[in-house]
Amino acid sequence: MDPTRIMLLAALMNGAGLWLLLPQTGSFPFRRPLNRTLGTLLGSAGLGLMASQLPGLGEWFSGSVFWGSVFWILAGVTVVAAAAAVVSRDPVYSALWFGLMLLGTAGLFLFSGAAFLAVATVTVYAGAILVTFLFVLMLAQPEGRAGYDRTSTEALLSAVTGSMIVALLSIVLGRVLGLPEAIAISSAATGGTGPTPDVARLGTVLFSRYLIAVEVAGVLLLTALVGAAAILARRNKCPCEDQTTANQMDSPTEGAA
Amino acid sequence: MKPNDPDIRWVKEPPMGPTGKTYLSLFLGGFTTTLKHLVSKKKTIPFPDRHYECPDPLIYRGVHRLNRDDQGRVKCVACFLCSTACPAYCIDIVAAESPWPDREKYPESFTIDELRCIYCGMCEEACPVDAIELTSLFDLSGKSREEMIFDKEKLLAVYDMTKDAEPRRTAGRPPTPPRDTGGPS
Amino acid sequence: MLFFFETLIKIALLIAGLMTAAAYLVLVERWMAAWIQDRVGPNRVGVPLTKIRLFGLGQPAADGGKFFFKEEFTPGHVDRALYFLGPMIMLTAALAVFAVIPFGSVLPTRFGVEGLSEPIRLVVAPGMAAGLVYVFAVNGLAVYGALLSGWASNNKYSLLGGLRSAAQLVSYELPLGLGILGVVLVAGSLDLETIISHQAQSGAWNFMLQPLGFVIFFVAGFAESGRLPFDLAESEQELVGGYHTEYSGVKLLMIMVSEYLHMFTASFLIVILFFGGWHFWGLTGSSDVVTWPVALLRVVVLLGKVLLTILFFMVARWSWPRFRFDQLMGLAWKVMLPLGLLNLVVLAVWMEYGRAVAEATGLSYLAATAAVGWGTLAVAWLAVVWFAPSASDNRPQRSPVVQEVCR
Repeated sequence: MDPTRIMLLAALMNGAGLWLLLPQTGSFPFRRPLNRTLGTLLGSAGLGLMASQLPGLGEWFSGSVFWGSVFWILAGVTVVAAAAAVVSRDPVYSALWFGLMLLGTAGLFLFSGAAFLAVATVTVYAGAILVTFLFVLMLAQPEGRAGYDRTSTEALLSAVTGSMIVALLSIVLGRVLGLPEAIAISSAATGGTGPTPDVARLGTVLFSRYLIAVEVAGVLLLTALVGAAAILARRNKCPCEDQTTANQMDSPTEGAA
Repeated sequence: MKPNDPDIRWVKEPPMGPTGKTYLSLFLGGFTTTLKHLVSKKKTIPFPDRHYECPDPLIYRGVHRLNRDDQGRVKCVACFLCSTACPAYCIDIVAAESPWPDREKYPESFTIDELRCIYCGMCEEACPVDAIELTSLFDLSGKSREEMIFDKEKLLAVYDMTKDAEPRRTAGRPPTPPRDTGGPS
Repeated sequence: MLFFFETLIKIALLIAGLMTAAAYLVLVERWMAAWIQDRVGPNRVGVPLTKIRLFGLGQPAADGGKFFFKEEFTPGHVDRALYFLGPMIMLTAALAVFAVIPFGSVLPTRFGVEGLSEPIRLVVAPGMAAGLVYVFAVNGLAVYGALLSGWASNNKYSLLGGLRSAAQLVSYELPLGLGILGVVLVAGSLDLETIISHQAQSGAWNFMLQPLGFVIFFVAGFAESGRLPFDLAESEQELVGGYHTEYSGVKLLMIMVSEYLHMFTASFLIVILFFGGWHFWGLTGSSDVVTWPVALLRVVVLLGKVLLTILFFMVARWSWPRFRFDQLMGLAWKVMLPLGLLNLVVLAVWMEYGRAVAEATGLSYLAATAAVGWGTLAVAWLAVVWFAPSASDNRPQRSPVVQEVCR
């Protein structure tokens, strides 16, 4: 069969699996355990089919079984954690699965020789952003979880969109990675024949070739920061004024004094 | 209490001086205190190896003893003042007619539950003949509750054990004048 | 494959060393605590079944055994999966940091085995270019341990402890990073070994050259390790035990050990980044080619410095009262962060124009750098005195003042 067609079939299976796995109200379309089992089976079958159609993947590691299995384990952990983050009912568990996915991604980066990118991903995403998420989630739901937190809205649309994005990216990647030049480049980057990517070089490239992009991103972040501070400052003022007026209304004697 | 209650005394934190604001004086102050104690002489007494020596055993309130008189008889006259005064109800006395001519009654049995006792010393205060006293023995222990209920023999044995180290409290002192408790008479 | 065995041996050595050190430093900490309180501390447990006491050196084994034989109780109201996961994440993260932290310099021999790296470096993952960022990443993961065990315990004190811990760790990572950046800027590398050898070659330890960075890093390191005066996450008077209130047995042991390992990490980083690592003037030399005595001496010097830092941690515990939470946050965001930025800017400018200035004034470059560093510290300190941003009275006020406080 034509690889693209296999890819689309895999995408269909992925989408159906995701749709079954996504938490929905009541027992729709089947009972919950059946949904889960079917979804897991369909999803993993689709993923396997997809992986079989990506020729470049196995050839990065010059055929070493050990490194190959390390890669597949990392990739599997990442994908499963990502799926679990989407379909998990409890927001805290979702956030944790997302964290595991970040670790898997960092592992893949490390595996590709991008050590700095790997640790920076963990530092920024897992160490700062996700902790803030968790912080808010834990504060927000001390008791019970609201119904709208436990089900997904628009399960079908999200499943279709997600699986389509994955399929398109995989098709494009499969085509690009299959080319001999791509294999040559990636093995040069990891195999030690070329210059190993290091932090100093990354810094030099960032602050010379991509200087404007870095600066624009910095300005954007600064603006967001100032905006957040401004919103916070304005909101802080209101209750305080309310409080003092309430106090005065409460105790007329004090107003006289 | 409302925040505008006139009885509230509002206190303001005293402002920090220039040295306080540098945090250096506080930093060094805390640190020197700690270091001083780190090297100072330790106050611990390694207990089973060495015993605590009470500077004045007469004012320590440890295990009770029943005093003997000059002829070796129990001094107690079974007047029940101590068991009446006891706030923990730990003294149990059975009185009997005295075999000796100088008193009417004597305690046939005299038991103190040392586990129940709170070592307040009221019995000692109450005793009209200075028969019961609290010694400076503090390392009192036993393997069962029954063992910790001291009978007359045991209490007299405590006296025999401690009489040399701790002479009778009122032996050499003038009798204390009766105190005015200030209550309705 | 030999490379693997080399790494495995290093890991085994490191973990054994760390665990033993943690056990015995608990004993040392109890001694210090006792001495500071005019007591003598644990001095009884020696060889079991004999009367030999050995100054209480058997105490760690007794403590450890006690932890293992205690009932490991799981309360019925906890989220079981996360309740088990919390201590594991904590211990894993606390141990994983040591992958890039050197515990010595190099060994002079390969022991006659071909295929080992040459020379053998005394660090689990040598030459990791992003070493310091890795430390940050793993420290960031350690936050999850506290946060999850606090939340999973389903207890208000635990939750508050976990939240406090997370807020504190995330806040103090910023000043910690700014303190480190100065060192990285000067050494030109994120690799801890390179930073040590840079200090060894110049002969001037970083705390002499950038005292402001040192102060910031030191305070932030204390806060990151969650020791007094920064132990708000488990302040006994307010939160029972903080996030480990509901834990017992081996899981409690795991949490305790990882808290101790955080203190080790902080001490190692302080010594490596600011006190020259294994370098000592006239004793250890600075080159990569060593003889056996020098190699051992370097290990001893590094570990000795770390021990001194840990002792300081222990003394500090009894010296100053705990911060209030608003003071803690004020210190991080209003004092440490601006000062860290100031330090970074001054250092960056000095790196660019320093040599020219030093030549113009006739001073040696190192002396001029030190002068600028101490000048910066003095200016920063005076600025703190002038603005006094973290000195605030948050007790209830008479109502006209309420408005002011709120604003």
